[in-house]
This record gives sequence, structure tokens and C-alpha cells, in this order.
Amino acid sequence: MRILVIEDERKVAEFVARGLKAERYAVDVADNGDNGWAMVNTYEYDLIILDLMLPGMDGLELLRRIRGRNTQMPILILTARDAMASKVENFEAGADDYLTKPFAFAELQMRVKALLRRGSINQCSVVRIDNLELDRLSQQVRRGGKRLDLTPKEYALLEYLATNPGRVFSRTMIVEHVWDQGFDGLTNIVDVYVRHLREKVDAPFPTKLIRTVRGVGYSLSDEVMT
Amino acid sequence: MNMDSIRFRLTVWHACLLTAAFILLGALLFMQLKAYLQNTLLETQARRAQQIAETLLSPVNRTGEKYVVEEIKTLYAPEHSDRFIRITRKDGSVLYVSGPPNDQSFDPGGVPPALPSPQREFTRKQAMPDGRALLIAACRATTENGESYLAEVGTPATPIDTMLSHLLLLLGLSLPVVVLLAVGGGYLLVRRALTPVEEIARKAEIITQHNLSERLPVALTGDELERLSVSLNHMIARLESALQNSKRFVADASHELRTPLTILRGELENLAQDFQLPAALQERLGSLLEEVERLSKIVERLFALSRLDAGEAQAECIQFDLAELTATTAEQMALLAEDKKISITCDARQAVPVKGDRVRLKQVVVNLLDNAIKYTPDGGTVHLKIAAANGHAIIEVSDTGIGIPAEALPHVFDRFFRVDQARSRRPDGAGLGLAIVHSICHAHGGEVTADSIIGKGSRFCVSLPLVEWKNSAGKIT
Repeated sequence: MRILVIEDERKVAEFVARGLKAERYAVDVADNGDNGWAMVNTYEYDLIILDLMLPGMDGLELLRRIRGRNTQMPILILTARDAMASKVENFEAGADDYLTKPFAFAELQMRVKALLRRGSINQCSVVRIDNLELDRLSQQVRRGGKRLDLTPKEYALLEYLATNPGRVFSRTMIVEHVWDQGFDGLTNIVDVYVRHLREKVDAPFPTKLIRTVRGVGYSLSDEVMT
Repeated sequence: MNMDSIRFRLTVWHACLLTAAFILLGALLFMQLKAYLQNTLLETQARRAQQIAETLLSPVNRTGEKYVVEEIKTLYAPEHSDRFIRITRKDGSVLYVSGPPNDQSFDPGGVPPALPSPQREFTRKQAMPDGRALLIAACRATTENGESYLAEVGTPATPIDTMLSHLLLLLGLSLPVVVLLAVGGGYLLVRRALTPVEEIARKAEIITQHNLSERLPVALTGDELERLSVSLNHMIARLESALQNSKRFVADASHELRTPLTILRGELENLAQDFQLPAALQERLGSLLEEVERLSKIVERLFALSRLDAGEAQAECIQFDLAELTATTAEQMALLAEDKKISITCDARQAVPVKGDRVRLKQVVVNLLDNAIKYTPDGGTVHLKIAAANGHAIIEVSDTGIGIPAEALPHVFDRFFRVDQARSRRPDGAGLGLAIVHSICHAHGGEVTADSIIGKGSRFCVSLPLVEWKNSAGKIT
């Protein structure tokens, strides 16, 4: 999978590229709109990560040009402007998704992964992590064969963590996906719910599946921690 | 009536000055008139006394005293003209005194003798025992043989006194009228002069930081008030530009901070997920990331506030039931409260339709509830009440928390305001939550107020304009 990052802030481009390379993607970086346009025309990319504020050709203009040529390639927008108006504008111009700076890298990884496999149905209805079993259809959770009684919010939280076992989810990501926009910034609610979830999912069992990564967030993983 | 108002004070001053001027003028008139009338009357008497002295008394050694008496009686007939005439010899014995006048206004016999005077002619006002007074002029006559006589001619002062007392009465009666006119006229004048001031004050009252683009009315009268309103308008313009600059600064700053924050966060996260690192280092990276997260949150909220300031509050404007929104939000946050053994009660009996941005109004409820839960000790209660009253949708959030000191209450909606050190221990928030609540409420044409009793709890009250339910489904059927 080959990804093009069009971003004029060298350091942002660097860590995005480094992180994505670690995920075994092939990554190219363009530092302005004109170079980006030239590269889009030269190589075949599976995904473009595009910053809107660019020297040379403006990000929005570039987005329109790419869309005029190729309607299939997913485009993820990075922006420092998160006003509602520009959000609508972005989608109208053909963006598939967008991220507001400052974003958590985990969030970027998630979005990239989601955009790249969009269309292909590889989501099993049952997720298994260690001896935890989560059935998306019946919304039932079992661990070691024993059924766990979760509230709808606890279930939603666990299901979200289970979409990507081993990945760390930031509190902001969790709030945005499990709660809604009105809860923006109220990340302490995540801690409370995770604690409750742990009591039901982890407390009765020797292997702890819900992990806290300080400063980053939570993950659901069967990797044995040292 | 406000005793300190300019209107009151100017009216009082006006009335006092006018009254004083009237009294002064009246007194002056009275004195002058009195002096003039007395002098005129005395002059007439003096002329007669002189006549008697020169024509009758000077040649008395030739004509004889009897002739003088006869002449006076025939020439002057004092009894008929209500006049007093007396001729006194040098030794004090009376040669002649007129009889009682026709109107019996005085008793000539009772007039005390004139006091000795070195002058040839002199006048006096002789008070009579019955309270009346005589104006008497005296003239000394010396005969050729050295004999000397004093001729006195007098007339009652009563007509003058009557006239003067009438004048006094007239002045006294017109005084209240003058005072009344002065007060009324002064009041009207001042009111007329101050009407533009009232207008300016009324308009100035409704200009807040949210409508600084408005200006005060300028009366093009070329007077001091025009200058005042123009100066005030200039001041408002300067305030507006200062406020705009500061808002633009916040918007720009929070925008510019995003890129460095993205880099910081991305690099640190990259590092933190490298599980090869020693635990102590990971711990420190985590701590750094927490601070970056906090910084991001502050930037996020500042940016949200600057967007609200710029009037982007209602990205979507739909009609919905505020009671339903509040109740579900309370339900979603119940676990937060439960965690501190706080019970949330929600009183939402009827549908409360409002129009606005659902997400932002939800944030109002979330922030207020979060605040209430945070500052309520374990085991307390948080009570929510949603109601519609007098065209307003009301959300009331009251808690049994630690309360807010009275001196801090007016500032709780200020940006970055912290009630005290105890409150600032929490790592998140940065004192922007209530500022956001305030901005959202204002952007929706509502307001939020706070009251509190220290140690007992606080109550926040949001009031938004109520809308009529428009049931489109109902119209069709």
C-alpha cells in the first residue's frame, strides 16, 4: 500500500511518515501543493493525506484537481481549521475523511486503515481476544465461556476498543466515537467507564486485557505486558 | 425622586435662586418706596413749617401773638385737613396747638414736645401712644427782638403705612406663585436639556461586548451633549477595536499553536508506544503527553470560544426538545455521579421546544453537570430542572456542593477564572468550561446566571428563548 503525504510542515510530515512506515506502508512526502500534484500525476497511490494549508497550490484546489482526475482514491484531509463551514466545504470538494490538528497518531492510523479497506467486507461478527468473545450481532460478551452483563455504554466502549486489538485509543477518540460531540473535552467520563468495564471484564480473571498507556489512552490487548 | 439627580439639584438651585432674587427685589422696592413716600410727605410739612416760621412768626413782635393764631386758623384750618400744627415758645410753653382733626386720627394735645435741636429745621417720626405715627417737620423762627419760636407741622403716617402694608401683602402672596413657577419652569427646562442625556444613557445601557458595533444617538445640536455623545462613540469605537484585536489574537494564537502541538503530540506518541523503552522513561513520556493533551484541550476550547465570539455559534439551527436532550445527557453522565455516590435527580415534566445548535446546547448541559458533580462532595445530590416559563426555556442545575464565594460569583463566567486554589487542583478544564457555557447561551439569545451559598451549594440557571412547537406532521393531516 502506497501513501502520499502532502504536508508543508516538515516535522508533521516526518512523524506521520515514520509512523506509517512502521505500519509497513510505503510513504512519499510532498512539501507543497505543486510537488504534490506532480507526484499524484506520476505515481499510483492508494491513499493521499493532504494538509489544507499549503504553499503554492492551495490544499482545497489540489483536492478538486485530484478528484477531477481520479474519483476512487481515498483522500484524508488534515486541517487546523475545524469550523463547521470548512468541514462541509471539504466534503463537497471530495474529501473522504478529515482530521483536525492536533490529532492523536492513533486516530490517524485508524482512519488510514479504515479508508484503505473500505469496501472490502472483512469484519467478522465475532471478535476474539484471548478468552474474551464479543458478538457484534447479539451484542453479547463472554469471557471464558461466562456471559458478562454490560450496560449499553460499557458494551459500546468495549466494542470500540475491540475494533483494533493492540492499538491504543486516546480518550478524545473514545469520547468522539462512543459518546458524541456534546461531550467534547469531558474525557474524565472515559476513565470512569473504563474502570467500571475493568471490574466486569478483567477483575475476575488473571489475565488483564484492558491496558492503560499513560498520556495516550487505552487499548484492548492479549499481549503479555512485561 | 432621586435627590442626587442633576434634574433634582438643578431644579432646586433654580428655585432657590429665583426666590432669593424675588425676595431681594421685593425688599429693595419696599424700602425705597417707604423712604420716598416719607420724604415727600415730610418735605411738604417742612415747607409749611417754614412758611409759618417766616411769614407769621418772624414779625410777631410787630403783629402780636394773637394775630398769628388767628392767621393760622384761617389760612391752614388744620382740623379740616387732618393736620397737626403747634407753635412753642422758647421757654417751652405752647402758643398754639391745633384741635383734634375731623377723622380723630390723633390727639394733638398728646404729642410730646420736640426735643431740643441745634438745627433750624428738622424732622421726626413721632410714634403716638395708640400705635400710630405722625410725620412732623419743625422750623425755628427768631424775631427781631431776639424772641424764638418753634413751628411744628405734622400729618399722620397712616396712608403711607397702609399703602406699604398692602404692598407687603401683595409681595407675600405672589412669593409662592413665583416659587412654584421657578420649580416648574426649572424642572421643565432641565428636563428638556437632559432628555438627550437620558437617551444616551438608555442606549449606552444596552451596549455590551456583544453589540459593540452599535453607536449612541448623536443629536446634531452643536452643543455640549453632541460633543459628549460623539466622544462616547469614539470611546466605544476604540473599545470595539481593542476587543476585536484581542479576539483575533486569541483566534490566531490558538490556530497557530495547533501545528506545533500536532508535532509534539505525534513525536511523543511515537516514542511512548515503543515498548522497548525503560518503564521510567515511558512514565515520563506519559506525563509529557498528559500535559500536551491539556494544552491541546485549552487551545481547542479557546478556539471554540473565539468561534462563538465570531458568531459561528449556530452552525446548525434546528428545533428540538430541550427537556429530552437534558434528560438523556443527565442519564449519560449518571455514572460519573454514581462514582462519587452523588444522586442526580431530573425534573423534566413537559417538552420544552427551543431552536439552536443541538451539539452546543448539549455541551452547556454537559459542562454544567460536570461542574456540579466535580464540586459536590461524595454523597451529595445534583438536581436538574427543565421548565418553560414566560416565553423562556429554563434549565436549572443545583447541587449540594462546596459553593462559590460571593465575591467570586460575578467572575465565574470569565475566561481562565478560578475560584480559589482548592478548585484549581483538577488538571483539566483550565477554567474555560463556564466561559463556553456563557458564550453558547449568549449566542442563542439567552443567558446564564449563578447563585450560591458557600458550604450549601450552587445553582446555575440557563434561560433560552422558547419557540412555538411547529408540528409539520400535524399540518398535513
